[in-house]
Amino acid sequence: MSPALIALGIVALVVGGTIAFALAAVKRLSHDPHEYVVAGRSFGAFFLWLLLAGEIYTAFTFLGAAGWAYSFGAAAFYILAYGTVGFVIGYFLLPELSKVGHARGLLTSADYFRDRYGSRALGVAVGALQFVMLIPYVTLQLTGLQILLTIAGYDAYNATGGVAIAFLLMALFVFTAGMRGLAWASIVKDGLILIAVIFAGILIPIRFFGSVPAMFDHLIAKHPQMMTLPTTFTNHSVIWFVSTVLLTGIGFFTGPQSMNAIFSAKSGDALRRNTIWMPVYQLILLLVFFAGFAALLVVPGMKPGAADQSFVLVVQRFYPSWVMGFVAAAGVLGALVPAAALLLGGASTFAKNVLSDGLGIATADRQQTAAMRISVVALAIFALVLWLVYKQTLVDLLLFYYNGVTQFMPGLVCALVWKRVSATAIGAGIAGGLLTVLTIFLEHADPTPWGINIGLLALVVNVVIVALVSIIRPRTVAAPEV
Amino acid sequence: MSRGARIARVLLACVAPVMLTVAIPFVNRIEPRIFGLPFLLAWIVLAVLMAPVTLGIIFRLEGRAKG
Repeated sequence: MSPALIALGIVALVVGGTIAFALAAVKRLSHDPHEYVVAGRSFGAFFLWLLLAGEIYTAFTFLGAAGWAYSFGAAAFYILAYGTVGFVIGYFLLPELSKVGHARGLLTSADYFRDRYGSRALGVAVGALQFVMLIPYVTLQLTGLQILLTIAGYDAYNATGGVAIAFLLMALFVFTAGMRGLAWASIVKDGLILIAVIFAGILIPIRFFGSVPAMFDHLIAKHPQMMTLPTTFTNHSVIWFVSTVLLTGIGFFTGPQSMNAIFSAKSGDALRRNTIWMPVYQLILLLVFFAGFAALLVVPGMKPGAADQSFVLVVQRFYPSWVMGFVAAAGVLGALVPAAALLLGGASTFAKNVLSDGLGIATADRQQTAAMRISVVALAIFALVLWLVYKQTLVDLLLFYYNGVTQFMPGLVCALVWKRVSATAIGAGIAGGLLTVLTIFLEHADPTPWGINIGLLALVVNVVIVALVSIIRPRTVAAPEV
Repeated sequence: MSRGARIARVLLACVAPVMLTVAIPFVNRIEPRIFGLPFLLAWIVLAVLMAPVTLGIIFRLEGRAKG
């Protein structure tokens, strides 16, 4: 058997096995939207862990973080830093959001905006915007899939067909099993990625350099400028690092798919315990950096976008095909499972907030679940088509997503702490923030003026608008107590 | 929760985020290396580890306040 067949065979077996395992664990199908989207709000600390960790262990983590370490050195460390900031904020914020979700029977992030600000229009607008923003994040996972399948096939096959099959298979899986199925699939995904990352981050440096510290000796001798951040006012400098960590840390839990996970929590303490320990789990990223740095020394000379493949290429060139197969399988699950969570988040938002609340279609529970299921598949096909015509490097897309979703933060927080804030204020703030980001993108201006992340500037614009509108025209009708 | 406990809570919560943002310009260096890691990376790892420590203390404080 050729190495490509062995490696791709292992990938296919692992993906098929994971789906079969998760389907067997879920057992019965539900027509209740609360069961389908937030698993009946039954998740204790363990399943919440797997869902919240989904953000950390994605194909982006696997490829993008290593690729960044390879291309930009210390700038890559932001990936380790922003999650920690996100978890500290999450410790205080998530239990409060979850409490509102329980008391008011909310399913999606847009539900929260509709309910807390008493405005159907705001709910529909937030739902539609979030749906649009999720699409680049889904396509990001597809790019990861393609890289992994191409390398696992030893460049003998065109991976596009494989990406389409794997992704549509996953969409059908979410179609069937919903949130509960996702949680079970995450068990296999996290386990495999953990093993693969330990292998890549520890065994690869040991094989080529003797130890991790010895690898850093080589790095510091060869690329000393990569081990610190430039102190200029440019991209990947100190000021860029600080502004990006702030922005992406604030945006860590503002994605609609995170809200589904938060609403599925059984209790606030289950969320608190998770955010306390999650930063430690995140330290696994350190090993991904090691793998990227090792690749820089072993296979030098790759361009920034191509460097996303660097450490997987090291595995392909220097290790047997079965190792390649398992590393690729871990990465493929790391793309598919988070992509599935995004599909569920996007589809539930679209069906509930846009179709049902906005257009009055499928308002009964049973119809709503059916609409969500159909939306999952429709969104998958839509994302796939977009991805086929429009591709970009991994992290550029992620920053686009974060610039967008972070703009929902003022709305999530103000409903908890400041009673003067109205739907108009939140809507105007989101519009102002998004227009700031959009202008920069459309004008092809520098996305990091003076090195500052534009998303953070947009968030400042957003907050100023919210504050001004709330002071001038405070809301008149209070939200229902919880 | 007492006033002191509330202030302690805010200060503790700020430790890791401050270490990962405003402190970065001051730790942006290679030496001294810690366990072989460049200083900047070692500092970031330390900051990440401070999060569970500080949040854990806050969790205890809140637990006591609740009852």
